[in-house]
Amino acid sequence: MAAARSRPRPEAAARRRFVLLMLLPATALLLAVTLFPFLWAFAMSLTDLALTRPGQTRFVGLANYADHLASPDFWRAARVTALFTLLAVSIQLVLGVGLAVLLHRETRGAWAWRLAFLLPMAITPVAAIFTFRMMFHPSIGVFNAILRDLGLPPVDWLGTPGMALVSLLIVDCWQWTPFVLLIAAGGLASLDPEPLEAAEVDGATPWQVLRDHTLPMLAPFLAVAVVFRAIDAFKTFDIIFVLTGGGPGVATRTLNLLAYKQGIEFLSIGYAAALAIVMLVVTIVAAQLFLRRTGFFRPRAAL
Amino acid sequence: MRRPSRFSRRARRRLGTLLRRLVLGLFALWCLFPVYWLATMSLKTPVEAASRNPSFLFRPILDNYRAVLDRPEIWGYFVNSSIVALGSTALVLLIGVPCAYALGRYRFRGAADFGFWILTTRMTPPVAVLIPFYVLYVRTGLVDTRAGLILAHVALNLSIAVWLMKGFFEDLPPELEEAALVDGATRWQAFRDIALPVAVPGIAAVAILCFLFSWNEFLFSLVLAGSTVRTVPLGLYSFIGYQQIDWGSLSASAVLLLAPVLVILVLFGRHLVRGLTLGAVK
Repeated sequence: MAAARSRPRPEAAARRRFVLLMLLPATALLLAVTLFPFLWAFAMSLTDLALTRPGQTRFVGLANYADHLASPDFWRAARVTALFTLLAVSIQLVLGVGLAVLLHRETRGAWAWRLAFLLPMAITPVAAIFTFRMMFHPSIGVFNAILRDLGLPPVDWLGTPGMALVSLLIVDCWQWTPFVLLIAAGGLASLDPEPLEAAEVDGATPWQVLRDHTLPMLAPFLAVAVVFRAIDAFKTFDIIFVLTGGGPGVATRTLNLLAYKQGIEFLSIGYAAALAIVMLVVTIVAAQLFLRRTGFFRPRAAL
Repeated sequence: MRRPSRFSRRARRRLGTLLRRLVLGLFALWCLFPVYWLATMSLKTPVEAASRNPSFLFRPILDNYRAVLDRPEIWGYFVNSSIVALGSTALVLLIGVPCAYALGRYRFRGAADFGFWILTTRMTPPVAVLIPFYVLYVRTGLVDTRAGLILAHVALNLSIAVWLMKGFFEDLPPELEEAALVDGATRWQAFRDIALPVAVPGIAAVAILCFLFSWNEFLFSLVLAGSTVRTVPLGLYSFIGYQQIDWGSLSASAVLLLAPVLVILVLFGRHLVRGLTLGAVK
């Protein structure tokens, strides 16, 4: 086309200028508000800065990092964090997708269902966690009252190491299964129904249709849900902080809680900053590997 | 292979529907139960609330609400939270929508890395940046101001907003904008007049999400807000600190502070679901 050929150079420059201008405000703000504090935190992680000894800060290189990697506290917290993240995300993925598939078959009242399912993720977490604390209470909590009515022995929900982790998972899954459900439901609604109907006509059972057709087509949506959930589960704070404080003992102390304890409670800022940087590096590497594997970065329709 | 008779097939389908509704109903019950329980606790006397046999049937009282509404500071929490949540949502959209459009619609060198960098701003553990944030805020006078909280919440929510909206723009067919460009529209006009209006349902859903996230945000507000700009979650947390035993009035405060979230859900929940469904997230 003549029009296309007559505007090569100035047009390319205009295109580049447009893209830059569109990206500029977000980039500037994120640089100012997130990159700068991050670089600062990195600088602090190379020192022994502690608010308990003001004015005596020395540069210690990578000593904080070496200390963490040699510390049993770090590895214990890393195991707890990995276990919590893995269990939380897998349970939420299975429940969320399963319920979304069921919900997809409901033609009437879908909106009312969704309103109920939306509630846990919309509610102010502090209020929800406080409610769970009441419900988990060993003597006056409603969960144990229900168990008693059923003739079952009471459970010490937050008091024993194993049960405390289970209880935290219950709260996290209550709050975030709906997030996976919503994204999966959105994905299902936007899928092309034709291949699914064709498979059904060919005599595939509902289970085969789900496994061979629906789930593979849904994969890109689920990848987003998994990435956002994993990032947030990895640094869960409020649920653990309010319900167990990392206890009993250190049974539910995740890396994030360990960093909080060292930084905000013991005021060893440099040491805590190093731990936070380690967490960030782990997240970035895991997210990169996952997103590249799922073909997330493939380019799409462009102008 | 034996074909099931027409009757048994219909019976089986009905049984399937029943089972499906049962499972969905149980899950809905589980989602609603804590909120229901919170509400009943707020309507109980202290004795009933601390009973070893929590009752589902009891005479509701409003004393707890009267006690809570007598505190003047609760209105201040509402005002602060409203201003911060509305302000940060508006700013996230203003800054995030153009960025999402450029990322979703234009191919340029480093686009994938740029998108990933935006995502990393959400990965940073808060503990890492809270102290620099705090020092920065003290130096610039932003500490304990609404503007400071707005800025922090924009930084927290911008990444998820950009990623969700990027998906909406990718899902729109590009032909209309291409045609407009051929007809001599500028790229800005193609964005503003053609892509933007179509993306409105998705943007509305993102706006509701950002509002809720900002309204509920706890940790950054805890560190960056002092006594003058306390938001709703901080107010609730301070109540929990003061009165460990009085579950009733604590529950009443929680219900009151949740009320706006419930109103928003009932009024706008539909848009949230529709918007996320429309473009979904890719």
